[in-house]
Amino acid sequence: MPDTWQYLALMAGCLAITLPLEFFPGVRVYRDPARVAIALVPVVVVFVVWDLVGIARGHWDFNERFVTGWQLGPLPVEELVFFVVIPLCTVLTYEAVGSVLRLLRSRREGVDA
Amino acid sequence: MPEYTLLAVLSLPIVAALDLVVLRTRLLLTARYWLSMAIVLFFTVLVDGWLTKLDAPIVVYSAEATSGLRWPWDIPVEDFGFGISMCTLVLILWVRATPAGPVGRGGDGRPRPASGHREAGPATAG
Repeated sequence: MPDTWQYLALMAGCLAITLPLEFFPGVRVYRDPARVAIALVPVVVVFVVWDLVGIARGHWDFNERFVTGWQLGPLPVEELVFFVVIPLCTVLTYEAVGSVLRLLRSRREGVDA
Repeated sequence: MPEYTLLAVLSLPIVAALDLVVLRTRLLLTARYWLSMAIVLFFTVLVDGWLTKLDAPIVVYSAEATSGLRWPWDIPVEDFGFGISMCTLVLILWVRATPAGPVGRGGDGRPRPASGHREAGPATAG
């Protein structure tokens, strides 16, 4: 794999590692794309703006060795991918934690009954 | 205060106010949120650690715009403000959005409480 794919590969790894969470009992993230869109679109907008401000003000820059060079204006495509992938992983984590907590509680209630 | 430091610090009370006052999702009062964020932060260190490592950085930070505090590894501490705000915001919007699909339909479309985000926490409304 060329070095320029490294950032994208890291994002793919995040998606791969969190994918099994979709199959925890009661978790529906990828299968509820409308809800995903409602949650993600404002986040992408707000954080792309923050990213653009950061780039414009020189807060950070990207190492051309590890990015594809595909740009949306001043924004590397990888950054847009980041703002979709990381929130998705976060929602999957939150749903999986909820799933495990439900299982623990139902087990406890089963013992109590 | 350096600009990125200032923005990262400011973003946290803004998101907290959104949760507790504006949208009243009250995620911050639930154990489920804090457990999730603990897991997210662990993986943040791995992913951001890779993005920011000084011997082969993917993202390069300005010394002027940051505090210079980098921990753990070479992660600028400001990134945790940025990351926590982003992840908290998406969860606030996620729990506000209603799950799709008729409840009780086939497959695993079992009933799901619309306010499921409160079930695991100590939060008691009102």
